[in-house]
Amino acid sequence: MNCRSEALEVSVEGRQVDEAMLALLHTILLHRSTGKFHYKKEGTYSIGTVGTQDIDCDFIDFSFVRVSSDELDRAIRKAVGEFKDAMGNGTDGMGQISLEFYQKKKSRWPFSDECIPWEVWSIKVNVVNLANEQERQICREKVGEKLGEKVINIVEVINRHEYLPKMPTQSEVDNVFDTSLKDVQPYLYKINFQITDTLGTSVSTTMRRLIKDTLAL
Amino acid sequence: MAAHFDTEYQRLEASYSDSPPGEENLLVHVPDGNKLPWHHIENLDLFFQRISFYPSKNGFTCMLLGEVFELVQLLFVVGFTVFLANCVDYDILFANKFVNHTDSSKVTLPDAFLPVDVCSASIRDNVAVMFVLMISGVFWLHRLIKFIYNVCCYWEIRSFYTNALKMSMAELPYFTWQEVQARIVEIQKEHQICIHKKELTELDIYHRILRFKNYMVAMVNKSLLPVHFRPPLLGESVFYTRGLKYNFELIFFWGPGSLFESEWSLKPQYKRGGNRLELADKLASRILWIGIANLLLCPVVLVWQILYAFFSYTEVIKREPGSLGARCWSLYGRCYLRHFNELDHELMSRLSKGYKASSRYMNCFLSPLLTVVAKNVAFFAGSLLAVLIALTIYDEDVLAVEHVLSSITLLGVCITVCRSFIPDKHLVYCPEQLLRVILAHIHYMPDHWQGNAHRYETRDQFSQLFQYKAVFILEELISPLVTPFILIFSLRRKSLEIIDFFRNFTVEVVGVGDTCSFAQMDIRQHGHPAWMSEGKTEASIYQQAEDGKTELSLMHFAITNPQWQPPTETTHFISQLKERVQREATGDRHTLTSLSGSEPRSLIANFLAGPPSLASLHLGQNGSLTNHGPVGVSDGASALRSLSVSSMRGSCSSAHRSAGHASSASRAMPGSSTDARTASSGSSVWEGQLTSLVLSEYASTEMSIHALYIHELHKQQSGGELSRHTWHRQDSDDSSDSVTEEGGSGGGNPNPRNPIPRSHTFPITTPISSPVAPLQSNSQRRYGGNTDSVGPGGRVVRSARVPMGGWTEEGRGGQHPETVPEEGSEDDMPPNIHKVFTHTHTQILCMGFHTLFPSLLR
Repeated sequence: MNCRSEALEVSVEGRQVDEAMLALLHTILLHRSTGKFHYKKEGTYSIGTVGTQDIDCDFIDFSFVRVSSDELDRAIRKAVGEFKDAMGNGTDGMGQISLEFYQKKKSRWPFSDECIPWEVWSIKVNVVNLANEQERQICREKVGEKLGEKVINIVEVINRHEYLPKMPTQSEVDNVFDTSLKDVQPYLYKINFQITDTLGTSVSTTMRRLIKDTLAL
Repeated sequence: MAAHFDTEYQRLEASYSDSPPGEENLLVHVPDGNKLPWHHIENLDLFFQRISFYPSKNGFTCMLLGEVFELVQLLFVVGFTVFLANCVDYDILFANKFVNHTDSSKVTLPDAFLPVDVCSASIRDNVAVMFVLMISGVFWLHRLIKFIYNVCCYWEIRSFYTNALKMSMAELPYFTWQEVQARIVEIQKEHQICIHKKELTELDIYHRILRFKNYMVAMVNKSLLPVHFRPPLLGESVFYTRGLKYNFELIFFWGPGSLFESEWSLKPQYKRGGNRLELADKLASRILWIGIANLLLCPVVLVWQILYAFFSYTEVIKREPGSLGARCWSLYGRCYLRHFNELDHELMSRLSKGYKASSRYMNCFLSPLLTVVAKNVAFFAGSLLAVLIALTIYDEDVLAVEHVLSSITLLGVCITVCRSFIPDKHLVYCPEQLLRVILAHIHYMPDHWQGNAHRYETRDQFSQLFQYKAVFILEELISPLVTPFILIFSLRRKSLEIIDFFRNFTVEVVGVGDTCSFAQMDIRQHGHPAWMSEGKTEASIYQQAEDGKTELSLMHFAITNPQWQPPTETTHFISQLKERVQREATGDRHTLTSLSGSEPRSLIANFLAGPPSLASLHLGQNGSLTNHGPVGVSDGASALRSLSVSSMRGSCSSAHRSAGHASSASRAMPGSSTDARTASSGSSVWEGQLTSLVLSEYASTEMSIHALYIHELHKQQSGGELSRHTWHRQDSDDSSDSVTEEGGSGGGNPNPRNPIPRSHTFPITTPISSPVAPLQSNSQRRYGGNTDSVGPGGRVVRSARVPMGGWTEEGRGGQHPETVPEEGSEDDMPPNIHKVFTHTHTQILCMGFHTLFPSLLR
């Protein structure tokens, strides 16, 4: 619960799904990434620079800015690709992809590290089927406009002065940032997706909760 | 020219660089670091719960030891039972078989034990025993894991207390919850425990701790839970045990497939009204399955309950058999009497304060028949016992005679039980006043109790809240047998209502999650027009909380948490109410003063000057009651005002204010000067602690006053028209019988001009069924005694449920919201009081109440 959640919703055509998702996810991650930290003695650090890059979409009249890190891009493309595969091609469908920023908390021996989310972006996708080329053209522009609005939404949310994990010391940097990438350092994130509006949570989370509940108090 | 340009544009070497990596002049940051790991806690509900439990467990060591002993106890109960069943040769123990000892004829305990190999073989052969052992082994392991988990958690809480809240373990007992809470609110500003908000409010913390409890309280308040039953022979009764409560919580809140998807959010499909029928079916089938599971597990649980009760209570019964006659607040009572947003320890301290008065009240009702029988049984048992003891003293060989020891024990138990039925000769009871004192502590009671305190119906209903301990144990014992049937047959039928309840009464609060909307204590949404919120509430009948729960909870919360900033409308309500209480206490409107202004005074006297009898005695000696009535009242009021002002400021730790406060209190209440002085003359180290304790005590007094005032006003406002009955508000409309009785019993006091009680165990305020409508009773009322306690003809307005789960509003026409101030009572009062004073020598105890509650004598 102790976590902000933001919801976005877009309606796109089947072939636009991955570009739309990439645009939104990259926009969020652009604002949730920093340059690499270089720690110095006495607990100070300096921050490296982050390059940005403009990307033009093929199926949408839209271009967005992303962090120019191929590794990050690859990771996100992979997640979006899986999402799209799971959605199936061309049919009507609903899906939800969520980008979750979390923090790790080291626990004592018998327990594994806790991952505590602090911000979750969930993007709901409606896939629509279009009959003819003209509609596609209109859709192309419409989706572009919509995505532009969403990007502004995202920036507004991010500009709010709200909780962010504190800047860690060197030993704890892995608990807050994803340091596996060479050129950029986003906050730790996870991408999950869910196809159709399935009721209830998955079996594993239910089980986990059950165990936790029986343990608790 | 050129030179000039040169000077304009120069390289700013020192202040700016393009920061190529590796260069020295980088912008250097200092990490905030996580010096304290208390920011952004994942499960705040659990975290706050643990924080609030921690002080009640008396610190880490006590908690650890307690849990360890619990584990050991479990092992012992199982092991010892198995041992008794399999490894003891009872023939030797009962001396049916002789042991062939060579050296001595004495039988020792070890002689009775079977040899180890025989014993273990018999255990191994017995399938049932092995089964029991296996189940208990699994259970024990589960407990062990839970124990380890708990220890880790509490260790974390401990370090939170010491590191973040800066409270050492040694001084923890001296802090009140309010101080702990204030520190948590401080911590939030610094560490952001909760990430949604910059600042936590007290209400947020309470909501998180009591999320599910608030739901339970609301469900009991709206009579949604099937706890009222009408078994043949026993009559109306309440069955609510720990096992049943556990099952309810399992079904609603945390069990597999429960309504909540996590601890803080209701599943989204339950928030939509669309497929409520389908969801209700689902819930019904879940309840069925859980009921069946209960039925299957019933033998195990039953055996466990019996064993546990046997081991934990036998010794107590042997040592002090009277303890079974003692009473305790029932589980249902705790739910019924609990405010929204009231923590366990707050509730318990409130109920404990009411305990004495409650048990006195219950003791008023000893049946004379039973007393006669008990006296005689005690006489015969006593004489037998005396003879046996005398013989034993003369020669202890008597003990060796078969069954002498056991009969001595039995006779002892018998006498103690009998004695509990024999009333104390030197006590005189006045149920009406006792009930009022109880009300000051428990804050809730059904409307129809007022003026009917002497009736057995009232007593029986009160005993549902305040039951015998023996009954409590018995109910726990039969609970495993009854619970599955309640689930399957009663709760299952209510599944649709439950679904509706959760949909209608769940609100999402930012930073808290889904909570019960009643717990918001919003007068506008859930206020009840008959409880002070007339005109402010927009709630339909279905939305109104019963018994003035919203209003009283709000007052309670505002008083216990003076720092809390309620929303503006609510603030308005609170300040208005407080103002009213104070204004009327000062005697601006004398009529109401007589009703309610005097009560605070008696209460303050009670609280400050010790036991009630003392207080009343003291006040009686002063004689200030007859002559200086208004003066005394204003004293009380000024004391009250000083209380509320200082508690509103929340001057918990300011020593300076404490001195001023104490002196103002002592000025106001001469009788309490000793208390006040001790408060003000305390050493400076303790002053803060003491002040906070005293303040919390004052807060509870203030709450009592407000509770009484609200009830009094409610009584006036509803004009005796009991529109709805909480007590009997089941789906059946059996509420009518008690009401009509009330109306019908009016003939008891034929002369309304003679309100002086004939005896103090006899009711003073027998209601009169008056055909006069309250509105025109301005003159009528003066002569009509207590017309206000019953409506015209004791009319009841029944509530019927509409299928959607709401209640239709029917015929509430006769209600007169505008209170008519009774002018006449002023003239009536003094003679009454004088007459009361002629009674003084008989009833020291009652006198104080009469003089302090003159309204009852009108």
